[in-house]
This record gives sequence, C-alpha cells and structure tokens, in this order.
Amino acid sequence: MSGTFLPLLFVLLLIAAFIRGDFALTLIYLVVGALAAGMWWCYRALAQVEAKRRFASHAFLGEKIKIDLHVQNKGWLPILWLELRETLPVALAGPNSFQSVIHLGPRASANFEYSVEARKRGYYPIGPLSIFTGDILGLSESLKAESRAEHLVVYPKIIPLTSIEIPSHSPQGTLRHTLPLFEDPTRVFGKRGYASGDSLRRIDWKASASTGRLQVKLFEPSIALETCVILNLNAQDYYYRSRIDATELAVVLAASISNWIIARKQMVGIMVNGHDPQTADGKPQAIPPRKGKHHLIRLLETLARVEITENSALVPLIQQQRYQLAWGTTLIVITGQASDELLDELYQARRGGQNPVLILAGRDASEESIRRRARIFGITVFSFTAERDLKIWTQESKRI
Amino acid sequence: MNQRFTANAARTEKVFRAISYALVFLMMACSVMTIGNLIQNVAPDSRSGIIAGIMLFIVIDRLYTYRQLKSLTPLSSEWTVAVGTQWIVIVLFIRLLLSYANGLDALLTDLSLFARGYLTSFFTPEFVFTLLLALLFWYLPAQFLELLDEIGLDQRLVLREDPTPIQSDTIPAHQRLVNLIFTLGIFLVILTALALINLRAMLSAPGAIPHLQVNPFSGGEAGVLFYFVFGLALLSLSRLMSLQTHWNQLRIPVSSKDLTRRWGMYSLAFLLILAVIVSLLPAGDSLGFFSLLATLLGFLMGVLIFLSQLLIALVLILFSLPFLLFGKAPPLLVNSPAPSLLPHLPVVAVSPVTNSALWMLIRSIFLWGALLAVIVFSFLRFVRQHDSLLAALRRSRITNWLILAWQWLYRNAGETGGTVSRALVDGWQNIVARLERKRLLPRTGLISLKLFDPRQRIYFFYLAMIRRGGEQGLRRKSSQTPSEYAATLEKALPAVAEDIDSITEAFVQARYSRHEVDSRQADRVKATWERIRRALQRMSRGE
Repeated sequence: MSGTFLPLLFVLLLIAAFIRGDFALTLIYLVVGALAAGMWWCYRALAQVEAKRRFASHAFLGEKIKIDLHVQNKGWLPILWLELRETLPVALAGPNSFQSVIHLGPRASANFEYSVEARKRGYYPIGPLSIFTGDILGLSESLKAESRAEHLVVYPKIIPLTSIEIPSHSPQGTLRHTLPLFEDPTRVFGKRGYASGDSLRRIDWKASASTGRLQVKLFEPSIALETCVILNLNAQDYYYRSRIDATELAVVLAASISNWIIARKQMVGIMVNGHDPQTADGKPQAIPPRKGKHHLIRLLETLARVEITENSALVPLIQQQRYQLAWGTTLIVITGQASDELLDELYQARRGGQNPVLILAGRDASEESIRRRARIFGITVFSFTAERDLKIWTQESKRI
Repeated sequence: MNQRFTANAARTEKVFRAISYALVFLMMACSVMTIGNLIQNVAPDSRSGIIAGIMLFIVIDRLYTYRQLKSLTPLSSEWTVAVGTQWIVIVLFIRLLLSYANGLDALLTDLSLFARGYLTSFFTPEFVFTLLLALLFWYLPAQFLELLDEIGLDQRLVLREDPTPIQSDTIPAHQRLVNLIFTLGIFLVILTALALINLRAMLSAPGAIPHLQVNPFSGGEAGVLFYFVFGLALLSLSRLMSLQTHWNQLRIPVSSKDLTRRWGMYSLAFLLILAVIVSLLPAGDSLGFFSLLATLLGFLMGVLIFLSQLLIALVLILFSLPFLLFGKAPPLLVNSPAPSLLPHLPVVAVSPVTNSALWMLIRSIFLWGALLAVIVFSFLRFVRQHDSLLAALRRSRITNWLILAWQWLYRNAGETGGTVSRALVDGWQNIVARLERKRLLPRTGLISLKLFDPRQRIYFFYLAMIRRGGEQGLRRKSSQTPSEYAATLEKALPAVAEDIDSITEAFVQARYSRHEVDSRQADRVKATWERIRRALQRMSRGE
C-alpha cells in the first residue's frame, strides 16, 4: 500500500467527522473501495489458479523431454494478468527457462509446451512454477504463488559392456564356469562309464539298463554371479582436481556393470554412501541383489539420484551391510582411493567367502601403491581414468 | 529487439501517450476547478473564472511543449531560451487577461502605464497570486509526465541496453506516481474542505471561538471527486505500462495477444462498478456516532418501558376483575396511568432534514459501520506493515488476554448457537409431530423420486413391492431374507416370477454391494416393478 494512503484516509476521516462533507465520505468509499476491491480480486483470482505439469518423469541421457504445462482459472472471476516463471535446472534447460504472461478469462485455461534436454544424470526438480499477479491499479504489492515442483530422473550413462571377467564363488548359477568345482545337476552334458568312487546319485539307471553297464551322468559346472556394487561417493576419497569427473565415471561404471549383470540374468544389488535427495536422512537405501529389468531400473534410479558427499566413510557401510549378503557374493567396490582400512575390510570379506573386486575410478597418484597392497590381500583391482578405458570390457577381456 | 516488436511498442506507446496526456489534463482541470472554487469562496470579487482559464491554458501549453523541452539539456542556453520565451508569453498573457477582465479601458490604461515604466502597477497582488498558481500548474503536469515516461511511456528510455543501475532503496516509479496523485489529492481535499466552510462568516463572527458554518454545496467537491476518478484511471494505465516495461526488460513474452484491450475493458468495468457501489453507499445526512448510539439505546429502552407498562396494565386488569363481578369500580384502574405508545425513532435535527427517520438511521448505521471498518482495516494494515509493533503486541499480556477472551467468546458463541439451533429444530419437529398426530396438519405423503439417487430408487421399488405384497396377504416375515420372501411371492405370482427374482437381485446388489448403481438399472427395476404391480392388482381383483 502506498505511504500516502493512510494520511489521505486520515484527512478524509477528519473532514467527514467534523464538516460532514458528503464528498469526503464518498472519497473514502472510492479510495478504500478501489484498494479493497483490487486486493480482493487479486487474492481471489490467485486462489483459483491451478497449474499442472505433464511429462515423462524418467529419461535416459541425451533424450529431449517435452513438458506440457496446463494453467487453469477454476473460478468465474477473470484474471487480468498472470506472470508465469518456471524454475528449471541449468543442467537441463541452460540459461533459458520458461516464462510467460497470460490473461485468463472466467474458467479459461492456457496450455504451454516446452522441452528440456537430459544432458547430465541426476534427480532434477521441474519447478516450482512461480505465479505472480497483482491488482489492476498497482496500489498493493504483487502476489506470488508457487505450484509444487515435480522431479525428473535422468539415468546415468550406460556403456554396453561385452566381456567382464568378474570371478564368483557362488555355485548353482546360470553362468557356465570352467572349474568343475560347482557342478549343476540340472545341466547334464553327457555320460561316461562308472568309475570307482563315483557317487551312486550320479548313476543314470536308464542308460545303465540299456547299455548293460553302469553309466554316470556328467554335469556342467556353473556359477551364480550374485553381485553387490559398492559405490563410494565420499568426496575425500577422490583426487580433488578430478573429483567431479571421477565420481561421475564411478557412477557410469556402477550403472554399466549392473546393466551387464542383469543382462546375464544374474542378481545385482547396490550400496552407495553418497547423498540421496529423495530420502529423509539423505542416505541412499542399500538395494539387495535381485534379478530383472525392473530391478535394474530401480538401481539406475538410485544411481541417477546419488550425489557426492563429504565425510561419509565407506568402510562402516561395508561392515554394516556385508553380513546381509550371501556367501559367494561378488563385492565390486568402485572408489577413487583405497585406504588400508578398506583393503583390510575387503580382505575380511574374502575370508568370509565373498569375492571382493576393487575398481579405481579417476586418476590417482597412489594407484600403484594400492595395486601392490591389494595384491598382498589377494584382491583383484581394475583401474579406469576415463570412459574410454572401458574399451577393455567392450572389446577384449583383461584380468589384472 | 526485432522490427515487429519495435513497431508494436511504438504503436502502444502512441496510444498510451494520448490516453495518459488526456487523463493528466483532466486531473489538472479538476484541480483548477477546486482551487477556483476556493478563491471564489474566500474572495468573491476576484475573477476566479479568468484565473481558472489561465491555468488551463498553462496546463495545455505544458503538455504540448513537454517533449520539446525534455529533449533539451536543462540549464543549457537552448533550454534557457525556450523556457524564458515561454514564461515571457505566459506573464504577458496573464497580465493582459487580468487587465482585460476589468474592461477594455482598464487594459488600455495598464498598457499605457506599462509603456511609461510604471512597473509597480503591473505587479498587483492578484497578478502575483495568479503567477504563483501558474508556476504550480506549469510544474505539476511535468511531474506526472516525467513519472509516466519513467514507468514506460517512453519505451526508448526504459528499454535502453545500458540502463542506469537501479538502487535497491529507490521507490518504483509507479509507487511514486501513486504518492503524487494521493499527495495532490490530500491537498485538494483540504482545499475543498476549506471551500465548504464559510470562512468569511467564521472570521467575521464575534467572540473568541468562531462558529463553524458549512456551505450546503461547493463546486470543488465535484472537482476533487473526479480528480480521484481520473487519478485511478491513470494508475490503472500506468500499472499496465509498468508491467509491460518489466516484462520487456526481462524478455518475458506476453502470450495473450489482446491483453492491452482487455486491460482497458476491465479497468473501465472496475471503475464503473466501483462508482456505482460508491454512489449507492450512504453519505451525508447522517447522525453522529454517539448520537446514533444514544438513539438506538433510547429506542430499545422505550420498547422495554412500553412492554413493562403493558404487563402492569394486564396484571391490574386481572386484579380488578373480582371488583367488576361485584359491580364495584375497581380501585386500581381509577388512577392508573395508561401505557404509553410504542416509542418512535427520535430524530436529531440536522440540516437538511431527511424524509424518513428510519431511512436516516439505516444510512447512519451504514455510514458509521463503514467508517469503523475503514479504521479497523487501516489499523490492521498499519500493524502488519510494522513488524516490531506486531511483535510487541504479541508479547503484550493485554493482547494475549484479549485474544484468549475473544477465543473463549467465539467458542462459546459457536456452541450456544449450535445448541439454540438444535433446540429450535427439535422444538419445531415436536410441534409438527404433535399437530400431525392430532390430524391438524396433513401428512406429507408425497415422495418425489427425482430427489432419490438410483440406489435409493431401487430401495423404494423393492419396499413398494413388500408393502403391496403385504396388502395382498403376502406379508414378509421379519425372519425372511429377500430370497425367501421372493420365493413366497413367486408361489403366489408365478407369472412374474422372473421379475420378482430380478427386482430382489437388484435390491440385494443395491443394498449390500458397493457396485456403482446407475439410473439405467433403476429404470429397469422400475419397469419390473410396474409388471409386478399389475400382477398384484390382477390378484386383488381375483383374476
């Protein structure tokens, strides 16, 4: 309200009270009426505005997401002007964000369409939509309302891997294995004559009856590649100059490996120590190993959301979650640096029957020392400084 | 900025400029009218009409030359020459016109005196006063136009790429325009009030305290009223301009093509509705607040006295009845005073006298109610604008106590209201029920099926079947399920056995399931019921 409004009202009231001038009363009605009616119109109109957004809430990297914005005046009172300003993340929309000015008649609506580009994985808020309006005379300040933000998940980049050699100790799986340690009784690949010491359970009685000699079944050995990807997003564990790129590479690795495992109909889970904006305490929920495309989507959603964080050590997380994983599970730890404490914990896991694999993401000066120590603990180490290094898994197999 | 945008902006600027210049001129004309009226009141012999005419001329001249003068650098030689020549013309024009107002001879005399160098005769008090007013009316329109230019009338000024950095504490131009309009409005209101008071009578009145005399009507009232109306119209226009400027600066596209046209339309409608409402609200001819309160209380007291006197009179009559039976004059009635008539609304003598005292009372209630609302509204706005005051009020014990008291009153009033309304409803239902029992009121037996939803309609048809069946001796036992009763009916009415099954099934579904029941189902049940009803009728006829 203007600073001169109250003095004017005061003068008018004085004149109305002492002189009983009709004009003073009429002016009070006029001025106060203009202010009150303008404000009422403005408040009422804003309360009747409803804005809805429609868009695909999940997208893969590089996709263009079309967003339909529907703004409706649900009341009979026309809305003279509405200034719409959509708050969009810079990573998706760049400097251009959607904004427009509209007029809405009684029960009228307006539709807008704009698009954003999924340039970077993440969990992005689309909105809030700020709606401004004001009175026709400008006697009161503009009013602002905000419609709630909705979220868009951009999945991390998935590099199609073809040949990874991740060892597993878990028997009775669906992947063929060269060692005859874990034979699968459901996979019969031949028969041979009975030899002393063969288990009676292996005897194929029908074949023995038809040949007249005892025959035993030969089983194909197989393993189950039950895997848990442990992603370290603790900022202190990455070289500070390449922290952002290295953590992004770590996420890409986690997503690509998960995709590769799911494609082989194996079980994969995930553990991250980063920040998840969707959870109440900001800690990402550990996802136990499961199979299937739906499970992969769940993993990717988590990987899309997680962000780098400070002072969130990985070792306590492994200590806490390791005991819930089955014997023989492969633990793929993706990190920037590996401390002795971490290597010791992985060694304990190895002794407990699990199979730890260490993947170093990003450039680090202490890489050789980590390799040396890991070799002492008997832990397999892979190292990637950039996405192009993943060629070893897309073209040829390399065991370090 | 593309060419099309520039063309549109230029066209809009042209329209806005024409309208805003017209509104500024009208506002200045209203101001001139008000000031002229005051001059007429204070000095009736002065030539207020001529002075008003001169002021209007100056306003027009200022509006016409504003842009030319603005294009010149202030205090430069060109600017000095332009302003100097303009003022020489104005001064001469004023002097000659004032002289001419006294007649042609007076004009010639003044000219001859001026030619001889008698400058003292040139600067008369009237001329000096008019000159001062001219200065004011030369200055005021420029203030309005400068603000309008800043708001957005001059698109080149507001949309230039290197705008002057705006300080955060700078009041927006639109706000300054509001302040200017209201400040000038306050000034005009005070002048109008002075014009209403009979100043001469006051000043000439004997005694220490001058008596306040109010003129019945002053032309300045209309001037100030219209000044505010035009002022509000200008505010509406400037609001649109400031918004458009803001949108242009932020590169926010306006999706509604006809926003300007609609703005104009809505502004007109808004001001028109406001004017109609304002004209309907009561003003003047009203009682003072306390006298109004006293009037209302007096009236209520009068009603109470009248009722008490009436009761006393009835009691006296009852006491007197035995005396009348014995043929003696009742002693109490002899000197008892008759109950007074119902008191009339007292009329406070105000001038001019109104036609109806009741109408005056209603108007007064409206008036003072509106004023109270204004005061409360202003107070609330003031408190909201001053956070520290609000915090202090919240901390104050008295405020807390008042809030608690209000909450207690509000809660109790709500509870009492609820209790009273329940009691009233119960009482009314009791009365109606008793009257119905005594057959004084007819039973409301008509049921409108249109009021029922489809589910209720199915209930209705099924219950109708039970009632009609009962009338034909096929009464449903309280232990019977719908299916058992259907079997009973089917035995008696084998021709419509399927229909009985169908209506029973529909009823069971409607009664015990959560399925959606639509009106088509209800219509089918109705048709089924019609067939059963005809069968029952045939049965009653013994066919």
